[in-house]
Amino acid sequence: MLLPGMVWLVMFSIVPMFGILMAFQDFNPGAGLLKSEWVGLENFKYMFQLNDSKTVIVNTFIIAIGKIVLNLLIPLIFAILLNELRSMRYKKLVQTVVYLPHFLSWVIMSTIVIGIFGYYGVVNTVFGMFGFDPKLFMADAGIFRQLIIGTDVWKEFGFNAIIYLAALTGINLNLYEAAAIDGANRWQLIRHVTLPALSTTVVLLGVLSLGNVLNAGFDQVYNLYNPLVYSTGDILDTWVYRLGLQNLQFSLATAAGLFKSVISFVLIFISYRLAYRYADYTVF
Amino acid sequence: MKKNMALMLSVVLLALSLTACSSSNNSSNNLKASSNPDSNSASPALSGDDLAFSKFPNPVDVHIGMVVDPTDKTLPEGDSVSNNQYTRYLKEKYNINVIVDWTAATGNDFKQKVSLTIASGKLPDGMVVDDRSFMTKAASSGLLYDITDIFQQYQSSQVKDIMASTEGRALENASYKGKMVSLPNITVDTDGVHVLWIRKDWLDKLQLPVPKTVSDVEKTAKAFVDSKLGGDKMIGIAGPSKNTFPYSTFLVSSNNMGGFDPIFGAMDAYPGYWLDNGDGSVTYGTTTDNTKKTLALLADWYKKGLIDPEVGTRDNVGDPINANQAGIFFGPWWNGGYGNGDSFKNDPTANWQAYPVYSDDNKWNVHMKTTGSTYTVISKNAKPDVVKAIMIMNNALVRDEATFDLSVNVAWYPLRNVMAAANETEYEYAELLKVLKGETNPEDYNKPNSLYKLMYADAKKVKDVIKPPYDDLNVSNFSTANFGDFQRLYSIMIGDRPFTTIPIDKKVFSVTYNQTSTMETKWANLKKMEDETVMKIILGQASIDSFDKFVKDWKSQGGDEITAEVAELLKK
Repeated sequence: MLLPGMVWLVMFSIVPMFGILMAFQDFNPGAGLLKSEWVGLENFKYMFQLNDSKTVIVNTFIIAIGKIVLNLLIPLIFAILLNELRSMRYKKLVQTVVYLPHFLSWVIMSTIVIGIFGYYGVVNTVFGMFGFDPKLFMADAGIFRQLIIGTDVWKEFGFNAIIYLAALTGINLNLYEAAAIDGANRWQLIRHVTLPALSTTVVLLGVLSLGNVLNAGFDQVYNLYNPLVYSTGDILDTWVYRLGLQNLQFSLATAAGLFKSVISFVLIFISYRLAYRYADYTVF
Repeated sequence: MKKNMALMLSVVLLALSLTACSSSNNSSNNLKASSNPDSNSASPALSGDDLAFSKFPNPVDVHIGMVVDPTDKTLPEGDSVSNNQYTRYLKEKYNINVIVDWTAATGNDFKQKVSLTIASGKLPDGMVVDDRSFMTKAASSGLLYDITDIFQQYQSSQVKDIMASTEGRALENASYKGKMVSLPNITVDTDGVHVLWIRKDWLDKLQLPVPKTVSDVEKTAKAFVDSKLGGDKMIGIAGPSKNTFPYSTFLVSSNNMGGFDPIFGAMDAYPGYWLDNGDGSVTYGTTTDNTKKTLALLADWYKKGLIDPEVGTRDNVGDPINANQAGIFFGPWWNGGYGNGDSFKNDPTANWQAYPVYSDDNKWNVHMKTTGSTYTVISKNAKPDVVKAIMIMNNALVRDEATFDLSVNVAWYPLRNVMAAANETEYEYAELLKVLKGETNPEDYNKPNSLYKLMYADAKKVKDVIKPPYDDLNVSNFSTANFGDFQRLYSIMIGDRPFTTIPIDKKVFSVTYNQTSTMETKWANLKKMEDETVMKIILGQASIDSFDKFVKDWKSQGGDEITAEVAELLKK
């Protein structure tokens, strides 16, 4: 029974690994992987000479970390607030509405985002009422990152809250009752009962997302960026895409991709150690 | 037990299919022998057009990769990408079986697929790529078939004439290191000459003259914006979207809807082009003072609100134009009709007219494009018969395009690569006018294998679409009943009129339309710098002084090296 799984693993996960060799070659599709010329670390050297590489790495980290932090906190706050609601029907309604955007792809979402932040979009209309001049947000490198992080949180917070909501149902109601009898008000209930109960979940999710730190979201950035915001919006994935698929620099793109993978691997390694230490969580 | 069953079944199936194949081979062989002399070894060898349109004695399978337009709904129910009127036509007339290995949607999807196909080194027998760098990358990797000889043998006289109309540029364009490795497309020269498209009906309403020079354009745009004729979101001049460019470049030298090309031309600036200085040296057009001046001008226009405030971030420059919010845009001849089709549907009085933009000393300067931008590439591993089949498919398309039932989009034709005489639109403009005025009859153009393949078909329908008076055509002269015909004839008669009737004072070609070897690694970086700087200056996010820093960086980060390489090309 193990055989099909093993074959699958070898075919789709192990064999393609040899593609990494491209990063150390001057890859020539006609000659193939085995006969292309070896250039050692040339591609890496060239990659780090490019001004872009630094910008891109910095952007990737900032955007990814921003997303990780906010995607932990906002759903947490949202879940706790939702938990305080008394009306079940209203609760369900809110929950359904906020997790809808999760199911839309960024291709669709980007149109909506541009509709909101465009020159004639909702935001500018509202600002206009207060006498501000309209601003072209999508072309403003100064706020592009915030926009990327913000819209990602907006898209995902409802869905991400599900885990917290599940954890909340696991809290023993007797604890609330006991605390209430001791005279705790609502705020104190949250602080002394709900939050401690959720803390392991938060730590676990936070630690696990470390492995994702370099995935700043290709779909989203690709659909929203333009040359005006390259300086703050270009991330490793979009850069690799442009190098490899648009400019046909296969080797350079592979080198950049490999660079990303190595860092990601280190981060995943660290995050599993942390997960073990703080949340007692192991995969293996 | 189950395994054995499956094995047996597959063996039976295989045997069945083999017999089916061989029997069909035999029958077609027999058919051939009786109907076509070319399978008869005693008859003299075919040559010229007989060879160019010869039918294969045995079916030839051609594997292709194909671009499809996901929004196209013209295929009848039951037909598919590999079984439609075009593939059946090829099967019947030439015994060519088209097998579509993969399809990808137009645009980035297709580019991505082509790129991956090249990276994997496994090309289908034929595919049409839409960027020369794909062709050269595949050629330099040794993936392409050297078709130099087969093409000479198999091209039809019509294709030969069309190739000749480019004075050798098409052949050079399709070649790599002296070998012909692809079938080039050849598009009309006027694709590269961008004109000013303007709402003439709005001009009339405001009692303004047609703008002639750059300063007139500025005044007109101002008047448009103030008039609010297009509603609250009125745009004076629509500009490039995030998928188009501020100006055409030597790599993408034509068909740039929404770019500011005519303004740059009128300022005697040719950004994106490699300019021959006449003394053996070359300059990259973007780094010149004239480009800087034009950028300063555009930034000023943007600041004054004459240019679309959302320039550079829109998904499609066509959106505001089709919504009738814009008074002016720039683009090639066919942009009026095709690019702004919905504009007419939304407002039948939208009288888009095309004009050149002159410099302040009344010169019309234009940049000229390369001959074509798509290439049919043929895999090195294709069998000679398959290569010949691809030549025949190309010949057949050129000869018969006008006779096809075009209610099924001709884009479904496998390996469609447009081949049009370089001067087709000028010729058609002049001849169609004669037909309209009754000086000639449509039947006069009924010449098979004409260099101008669509002329006869257009001549037959021109009177149904265009109503008199013919001297000064406006949108009110046109019937939109058959929108496809309307689009084509509007583009030719209105869009191509400036190019055909007004002498051009200065035609600027780029020294090269290809990448040099250093560009392969460094151009992406330089181009990114260029795009960023240019758009930031136009939008006022960077001062015009940042241009000087850009030039300095551009030169030091590989620009000088590349300039020297391009200068080398000049010596040859």
